[in-house]
Amino acid sequence: MALLQKIGFFVNPVAGMGGAVGLKGTDGVVNEAKKLGAQPVAPKRALRFLRALGDNHGLSIFTCGGSMGEDELKEAGYTGFSVLSTPQKISDATDTIDVCRSFLAAEIDVIVFCGGDGTARDVVSVTSDALPVLGIPAGVKMYSGIFALSPEKGAEILQHATEIAETEVLDIDEKSYRLGTLSTSLYGVARTPVLGTYRQAGKCSFFGDDERSRQEIARFLTEILRDDTLYILGAGSTTAAVSSYLSVPSTLLGIDAVYQGECVGQDLNEQGLLELLRTYPKAKIILSPIGAQGFVLGRGNQQISPAVLEKVGPENLIVVATPQKLAGTPTLYLDPGNPDLALHFGENIQVITGYAMARRMPLVLA
Amino acid sequence: MQTKYLLDENDLPKRWYNLQADLPNPLPPSYNPQTKEPVAPADLAPIFPEELIRQEMSQKRYIDIPEEVRENLMLYRPSPLFRAFRLEKELKTPAKIFYKYEGVSPAGSHKTNTAIPQAYYNMKAGIERLATETGAGQWGSALSLATQIFDLECTVYMVRGSYDQKPYRKMMMQTWGATCIPSPSPLTQSGRAILEKDPDTPGSLGIAISEAVEDAATHENTNYSLGSVLNHVCLHQSVVGQETKAQLEMADVEADVIIGCVGGGSNFAGLAFPFIKEKLEKRPDLDIIGVEPTACPTLTKGLYAYDFGDVAGLTPIMKMYTLGHDFIPPSIHAGGLRYHGMAPLVSKVHQEGLIRSKAYHQNEVFKAAVTFARSEGIIIAPETAHAVKAVIDEAVACRQSGEEKTIVFNASGHGHFDLSSYEAYFAGNLPDYEYPAELIKESLGHLPRVV
Repeated sequence: MALLQKIGFFVNPVAGMGGAVGLKGTDGVVNEAKKLGAQPVAPKRALRFLRALGDNHGLSIFTCGGSMGEDELKEAGYTGFSVLSTPQKISDATDTIDVCRSFLAAEIDVIVFCGGDGTARDVVSVTSDALPVLGIPAGVKMYSGIFALSPEKGAEILQHATEIAETEVLDIDEKSYRLGTLSTSLYGVARTPVLGTYRQAGKCSFFGDDERSRQEIARFLTEILRDDTLYILGAGSTTAAVSSYLSVPSTLLGIDAVYQGECVGQDLNEQGLLELLRTYPKAKIILSPIGAQGFVLGRGNQQISPAVLEKVGPENLIVVATPQKLAGTPTLYLDPGNPDLALHFGENIQVITGYAMARRMPLVLA
Repeated sequence: MQTKYLLDENDLPKRWYNLQADLPNPLPPSYNPQTKEPVAPADLAPIFPEELIRQEMSQKRYIDIPEEVRENLMLYRPSPLFRAFRLEKELKTPAKIFYKYEGVSPAGSHKTNTAIPQAYYNMKAGIERLATETGAGQWGSALSLATQIFDLECTVYMVRGSYDQKPYRKMMMQTWGATCIPSPSPLTQSGRAILEKDPDTPGSLGIAISEAVEDAATHENTNYSLGSVLNHVCLHQSVVGQETKAQLEMADVEADVIIGCVGGGSNFAGLAFPFIKEKLEKRPDLDIIGVEPTACPTLTKGLYAYDFGDVAGLTPIMKMYTLGHDFIPPSIHAGGLRYHGMAPLVSKVHQEGLIRSKAYHQNEVFKAAVTFARSEGIIIAPETAHAVKAVIDEAVACRQSGEEKTIVFNASGHGHFDLSSYEAYFAGNLPDYEYPAELIKESLGHLPRVV
């Protein structure tokens, strides 16, 4: 019998919409994301989770009306669940807070939500450590440790969790994030069901000696840059060090592009990248994994969409990370968003860790 | 079933074998780092005794081993050749596996084979102190023992990464009367320059060599001693291969595959060079393999080019496989294989296609070492474990093909001072380092900086 029987399940239907259009989060910019053509991500992810959960309907499921859970449960073929409330409007943090309060009142065993870090923060603001929480990743940034690696693995955790562990819920200030300043905050401590290594650890920040390693990586990469190749630089301080070495501007948490030592695109979204790739067909993508959590692609850099990766070629992905970061990141994860692209990756991946130095790291495809 | 093949003390070779005499094409000249002229004996005189310089440049096929050197080599030589029946059984291979065990020397590795003659020739030349470098500590231990035998002082610059990892190696050197200093050190100009740039560097063999050479060049009573790379070191190690050939005759078998790990190249040269002679004369199919770490893949990924032997550029400029003299390999546990270059003689035979090379990651290498320990009993050095990994792969290939090859490898040293490395392996804490050669090769304008 599963450890957790009474499930409070809800979906944040707008989570993840900012990613593909380069908005680094969806908090407060839902309308802008929609104008840029963003499509809902969370409902599809929620469906994947529910389908993976399969016939394990010994569970009692409580949910929210409409697109916050009821629709997805129906589409996945679930019956017999209880709708506790139906929000009047969608996509406001107060909806999340209200539904979590109703879950608390219903004395459920665990909250399972499909959303991003912003949603996680809102959930934990209500539950604190009173209830275990499991996140199904749908958002732009997945810095919190309560997220499963994928919807399918979330289902496995829910069915086979053996214990409940404490973890940090982190988020970054999206306003300063968009201005290029990384400000990671601890929003609270939550409890989450645990199964082996599937849970994502909270994102770590690395300072001090890390800086020297970043400089070494930057020195090495700048020495091997070729004049006929466009370099797409992912988010983070390691790739920012490369820009700094080249004396070109960079977006700390955005995607930039460099050609022949000049910045040819800053804070690019998927469309911007595809346009650049039409001009510069030969390209390489340089990415650094999210610390501890280990995602190289598919979390926090949705601008590098399957279309972008396909155009560049998965073999032209260069992963960089300092040894200090890797010390807390035993496994790397990659979600290329497309099963065909996934075929290009094996069980290991080379990570540049210093000047002419690399490590072979275990890779898991999410 | 005979497990050990033992030679009598009288069978210890009376001559060293010099591969230079049999090379199809001569070694390219080395150059003086200051004048850029071909190295002349006088260029080496400030740091080496005359007889070693003569050996370095000799084209004679055989060079007599002084009786006093032989007597001291007899402390542990001839070393045994083992038939690895238990490993064969474990691998279910039809291959016959033999290993020459050099861990029987008091210092625990093959390094003593050259330490003793080097100390002897320096003593004969009136030198009072030897300065040297050591990576994993095997060479430092061996030279400490040898200088003790011939009543010389000894200063060992030990790569700091190893110095911190292996405290008992320091104790060995101290027991034999040597002084062991972590490198880079503030005692030399080369060391100070590195520390100024990077106070936390784990160091490298290239840096430690610079320090020891500087020490020798700036002290009248002091010479330098190198435990690998140079021609005379490969020469002294030839006792390994010569004995092995005699022992294989006792076993009534001929080697099909010869395997050794390669860092600077000396233990590999010791076993392989007498067999290269055989290959050149009558057995062109003899397969000879040098095995190195992916973290420092000099033969498999390096360039055959002129480069310095050290970081500071104090050594002669030699034609060899190199990753660039300023490349500092990551701190893998096989510290003895962390060298950017390769013995010019080993490089030459690789370039001529007389030998081939393979590279492995740390974790697969330690897995092989554990397999070896659990079958043959000996806990080998992480460096040696590279050879064992290649042996296991060859033996498994024989299982698949049904071939009954005879595989011979140099078990160059024991791992009794490397147990913390085994501990890291068992704890899952060994990173698999590698050299991003493809990225470097793609960028033709930014090849490793060689001279």
